[in-house]
Amino acid sequence: MKLEICSFSGGKIYPGRGRVFVRGDSRTFRFLNSKSESLFHQSKNPRKISWTVVYRSLHRKGISEEVSKKRTRRTVKYNRAIIGLSWDNIQNRKNEKPEVRAASRKTAIEKAKSVKAKSQKPKAKAPVKK
Amino acid sequence: MIQMKTRLHVIDNSGAIVVECIKVLRNAKWASIGDEIVVAVKVAKPLSNALSATNTNKAKKGDVHRALIVRTKKEIPRADGRYIRFDDNACILLNNQKQPLGSRILGIVARELKEKKWVKAISLAPKVI
Repeated sequence: MKLEICSFSGGKIYPGRGRVFVRGDSRTFRFLNSKSESLFHQSKNPRKISWTVVYRSLHRKGISEEVSKKRTRRTVKYNRAIIGLSWDNIQNRKNEKPEVRAASRKTAIEKAKSVKAKSQKPKAKAPVKK
Repeated sequence: MIQMKTRLHVIDNSGAIVVECIKVLRNAKWASIGDEIVVAVKVAKPLSNALSATNTNKAKKGDVHRALIVRTKKEIPRADGRYIRFDDNACILLNNQKQPLGSRILGIVARELKEKKWVKAISLAPKVI
């Protein structure tokens, strides 16, 4: 069974405790004990009665205030390998000097160009054959 | 705790507004939710309305009817250990066949009626608590 909360004091109502009051406008109020029920029927304001949960939260009493402090989420960065590359490989690439990188890039481009030139030759011939 | 001379609100459209308990139909001093009582109508809706709408206003002032208690100010224990109480004492009027006299119930009723087999009253009620 569900725990309920007292309409006046804000305390927890465990199964087997408490009383339900149904007002004329069909609103229901649950009370933990006769003390809070009596005060409710005297139309007292729980904000002005020092032992209620509402009062204590309003006047920052007890530990309930610290619990309600906001906690922001932080994204956590961490390193991991991607498919074929291990993390060390990635790190090595990152730490290469720019000249070395440029040189390797240049050789790669030249290599690609030569490959392209070779492959284009048969292509150019193909229409002639037809 | 409804006993002789208790005044109750009538929450159906039978025409009665306030009734007085004149007999508890139970071998006890007082009646509770789901019990039947005999009532005398003390305050009813004005008669001019009855002429225009014959279906409503079946109860007139001074009539004696049976009634079913649906809400009490005295708290009643529930099976789950809680107690429930209402703001007022209220009833609905019944005919001789123990069926509701009015065709509508205008207000909440207690769940205890279901356990005491007042099915018609439960089905008419807008809200059951």
